[in-house]
Amino acid sequence: MKFFLILCLISPVLLLAEWIEPPSRSSKGYRVPTSDYLPVLPQDHGSHPEYGIEWWYWVGHLNAVGSGKKFGFQSTIFRLAGDPVESRQSSNIHFGNQNLFLLHCALSDLGEGKYFHHERVVREGWQASASRETLQLAVGGMKVSLLEDGTGHEVITRYPGGVKLELTLHPTKPLISFGDRGLSRKGSDPASVSWYWSYTRIQAKGILYQNGEEIPVEGMAWMDHEISSSQLGDDLVGWDWTCMQLDDGTELKAYRLRKKDGGSDPWSAVYWIDKEGKTERVYEKNFSWKTMDTWTSPKTGLQYPTSVEVSVIHPSKGQEVYRLGPLLDQQEFTGNRSDNAYWEGACEVLNEKGKRVGMAYLELAGYGGGLGARLN
Amino acid sequence: MSHLPHSFRLVLLLLVRTTLRHWKQKPGSYFLLLAIVAIGVGAFNGIRQASRSASANFGLFNQAVSGQSDFLIESPTQRLPADILPRLSSLAGDPDWHMVPVIEGSITALDSNDEPSQQLRLVGLDLLSLANLPDLVENKIDFGQDEASWHDWLGSESFVWLGQTTAEKVGVEEGGEVTILASGRRQQMRVRKILKQEGSALPDDLVIADIPTVQSLLSRPGEINRVEVVLSKPELRQDSVYLDEIEHRLTRELPENITVSPTQNRAADRAAMTAAFRLNLTILSLIAILVGAYLILQALDAAVVRKRTEIATLISLGVSRQILFFTSLVESIIIGLIGSVAGIGVGWFFAYFSAQMLADTVNALYFATTLDAISLTWTDCVFGVGLGLFFTLLAGWLPARDAMQTPPAQVLSKGDWSPGFTWLQKPKVGLSFLIVGGLCLLFPPLPLEGGGKMPVGGFLTAGFWILGAALLSGHALVVLAHWFRPFCSQPVSRLACSRLQDGSSRHRLAVAGLVVAVGMVTGMFQMVDSFRYTIEEWFDIRFQAELYISERGVTGAGTINGIDPTIMEELVQDESIAYADVVYISYAKPKEGITILSGVDMKAWTTSIKQLWYKIPGSFTAVAGAEPALISETFARRFDLINGGVTELDTPSGRKKISPVGIFSDYGNEFGTAAVDIKTWKSWTQSERPINVSLYLKEETDVNQIRDRLRLAFPGLDVRNGKELRDVALGIFEQTFKATSALNIIGLVVAFAGLLLGLFSIFDESARTWLTLRHLGFSNRQFLLSAGIEGAGIGLAAWVSGSLIGLVLGWLLVKVINVQSFGWTLLWHVPYTDFLIFGILLVLTGFLSGCLASTYWNYKRK
Repeated sequence: MKFFLILCLISPVLLLAEWIEPPSRSSKGYRVPTSDYLPVLPQDHGSHPEYGIEWWYWVGHLNAVGSGKKFGFQSTIFRLAGDPVESRQSSNIHFGNQNLFLLHCALSDLGEGKYFHHERVVREGWQASASRETLQLAVGGMKVSLLEDGTGHEVITRYPGGVKLELTLHPTKPLISFGDRGLSRKGSDPASVSWYWSYTRIQAKGILYQNGEEIPVEGMAWMDHEISSSQLGDDLVGWDWTCMQLDDGTELKAYRLRKKDGGSDPWSAVYWIDKEGKTERVYEKNFSWKTMDTWTSPKTGLQYPTSVEVSVIHPSKGQEVYRLGPLLDQQEFTGNRSDNAYWEGACEVLNEKGKRVGMAYLELAGYGGGLGARLN
Repeated sequence: MSHLPHSFRLVLLLLVRTTLRHWKQKPGSYFLLLAIVAIGVGAFNGIRQASRSASANFGLFNQAVSGQSDFLIESPTQRLPADILPRLSSLAGDPDWHMVPVIEGSITALDSNDEPSQQLRLVGLDLLSLANLPDLVENKIDFGQDEASWHDWLGSESFVWLGQTTAEKVGVEEGGEVTILASGRRQQMRVRKILKQEGSALPDDLVIADIPTVQSLLSRPGEINRVEVVLSKPELRQDSVYLDEIEHRLTRELPENITVSPTQNRAADRAAMTAAFRLNLTILSLIAILVGAYLILQALDAAVVRKRTEIATLISLGVSRQILFFTSLVESIIIGLIGSVAGIGVGWFFAYFSAQMLADTVNALYFATTLDAISLTWTDCVFGVGLGLFFTLLAGWLPARDAMQTPPAQVLSKGDWSPGFTWLQKPKVGLSFLIVGGLCLLFPPLPLEGGGKMPVGGFLTAGFWILGAALLSGHALVVLAHWFRPFCSQPVSRLACSRLQDGSSRHRLAVAGLVVAVGMVTGMFQMVDSFRYTIEEWFDIRFQAELYISERGVTGAGTINGIDPTIMEELVQDESIAYADVVYISYAKPKEGITILSGVDMKAWTTSIKQLWYKIPGSFTAVAGAEPALISETFARRFDLINGGVTELDTPSGRKKISPVGIFSDYGNEFGTAAVDIKTWKSWTQSERPINVSLYLKEETDVNQIRDRLRLAFPGLDVRNGKELRDVALGIFEQTFKATSALNIIGLVVAFAGLLLGLFSIFDESARTWLTLRHLGFSNRQFLLSAGIEGAGIGLAAWVSGSLIGLVLGWLLVKVINVQSFGWTLLWHVPYTDFLIFGILLVLTGFLSGCLASTYWNYKRK
């Protein structure tokens, strides 16, 4: 779902092109991310209110220590800025008017086959705050704070039914900056760029409070932080996105932007992150995204391609195939309004021989009319 | 029919052949009878429905938009500093519920001439977070694209959203502007959107805006009224275990001095607050059915008399007396059933017309409310039909027994046998009722939920005394006729007098029915008059300032909004002011219900400001460790402080002790008021907002000139001189008794209808007498006159007996029921002139009823 908002902001026409120098301001007046920028930490973990949109995203796979229970989690905070020119300054610290926050949280209890999730839309103020100085977020039932080491952080997420997940996360790879010269381009509009920073492999440890029990958990997580100020692309109906953490210590991020005509947008891409954190990428013409199986939601009636095969030509290794299969079918996020439903869940990664080679999170958005309508 | 039991078939046959035939012969009388039952049941049901409609929403107006809430987080003053919100943020993040902060207040819309045109309720909600709520998610209210275009309006100082009916009332369209008065300031609101709601409409005085906008419009920055908690899963609302768990989780993390309670408790609290008011109205609404019962008794007895020959014949033919008794009872049941069913419809009609009246009263005296649609529940139907059947059966029992006892030989040989109700001619029963009533006075009042008290003994005494007086009233008729007889020299008057002096049970019943109505109505006369008289006395003593200033356009108990402190500060600087008595008011929480905590200049109040003292300041010494307070008599009685002592109140600063040093009379509310020093009040309530100010001007100043100047300088404030304040207060007072007056009128209408019905029966039964007189040369005119005098005599007897019992009832209402119910002592005042006028009207109506009944009877005979 994190892609949804950024796609709401991308340019109508996406073209693979040579370097385009971004302007300093977007057409609405927000600041535009600049090239060759190296994030200054911990400040850049914090909020960037001069930019139109920003999100922080964590997904991961957890194992209960000693019991064999398995869980997947997704915790996302979005920040949307008000109109930088028109919006009125408010002195009201409890009910601010400059930033809107969205919270999407989901927990997949893979053993029990249960999926807890909830959404909140709140304004900055008593229910939402994001520090500009460091990674310190408090939005609805989610709290994030940086640990003293400067990269490790604590993420606390509440779920319906009194369930709470408290995680301490320690990245094992440096912060990755995706894109060209530190800018992840999403379209031909010069302003359609973002700073897209990720910790692609994070050791997670913590406690899950569920049904009155305190379950110690540990596992692997992924974090994204993206900042942009762009505009909506009107020829897109949705996207499929995945992040894979492979058993060989590498990661892979792939996404396909789906167009109205059924094709993929040229800016669709696959990124590899090696053990040292170096990245390589290919675009739409070098990979295919094939549906292997679908799941139909009994709640919304939407059909999602939850089993897929990503076949991609690695710049140096040649053809590679990754098959993603859901660890739980019901991982549909319906939020407050089911017309904005999407599927995002824990998957395993198999190679073409059917051998498990890693774990992944898969996001499938825009399979209902509502989101498509909002996209356009 | 053959499969039905024999006795049942016989009853059915008798009903068709005899009862129905009589109904056909006397359609007017039976119609009137049914109408009486219908009005009686209707009055009772109408009050029930109207009360429900008038206080159904318990002041949580935001729920029309945000949907039903499940818990309320409040402070004892029902105001929360917004700084409390960050301390609730952890709780607010729990996905199992949503927290909805609410701020509300009254504003007044101005018309094009800048005159107050419409009082509106301004409710502030976090409009962005509304999108999370289950009700909004279901799209019950269409905010249009406002959610998506949040950055266009968020942070605006004046954007508001109105319901369709509010917009029509105010006369504004989308994008239009409305000028309002709020917190003593004149401001502009811009209508962002007119909301349309599927199904039920939004309250017709509701204005919605974002919280900061409302805080700004009401000049209450950093303040909200409460936080409502809405369950994320509304389908679990019925699960008490789940609700308990949620309440426990909420309570666990709540800051101190803040309470959480189920929303339905507030409904119960509010219901308890108006319990005494509703009970009084309900009891009053029984007048009509009580009077009606007498009339039914009378009419059914008349029917038995008419059917006497038939009954005698049937007994001779072997029909058992039980069957006749049962047939007679079935007739009562049919009357009761038809009348009650019609009464349910009449009740809806009454409720429709009286609900606004009751809502105004609830608004003025108790809490802010708006009307809900009048609803008719199965309970209403069962209550209505049950009540109608109970009274008709009660009234039908004696005639049925009478029918059963008919001796066939005597009736068939003499042509008549009418012993009447002998118990009506024996004073023992009536006297016993009076004695039992007197003993009931010893019953202590029954405590109600919410801190009120129900004067059970007082009500029982009233009931017994009314019944006793009704039973004895026949004797008054005989005695009066006996007194008047020597003055009657003409045949017509002598005839009328002698008939009255005979005191037939028919005459006695007619008087008894009227006495019930007259007694209760004159009793209420006195109560209302005593109240008015007391308030006028109170006004004369208490309100001696030259000018009184409050928030403009705001009246009633539900609108404790207050004046912007900066405006008050500016106002009291006026050079013409010698002394400004600024008063602060907020709610406070005793153990049960709510009460009023007031902040006053204690020094001035105990020395120079005049009061109607129940116990003068210094009557008690404040208990050590407790704040000295001046308390109202209601407060003193409610918390058992009439002889001093100490009580505790919850405030935003914790639980505080107060101890009275004096008791003043206050007729402004029935929750009780405790006044402490302003400094203490501010520290306890953490508020700075005054509610009003009384200005004592310097000598040789022109009051009205200063009033006009202040009005111009402070257009958002109501500036009144003493007379104007008195008029407004008495206007509110009259408002609160509108429903009472309406019920009195209904009772009287039923009584007069009954008088007509009674007179028809009397003339019917005297057919032979009239025919004999006609043969002896009695003219139509003389017949009419005699009937008129007879009617007037009944009216006079009813007035004399009714006024006597009314006097006693007035005393009972003023000295016992009011003191126990509301905790205030009224000065007992008898409106003798009104009594006299009422008597003349009653005698005149009796005379006209007699003439009318005889004319109709004459016409039917021909």
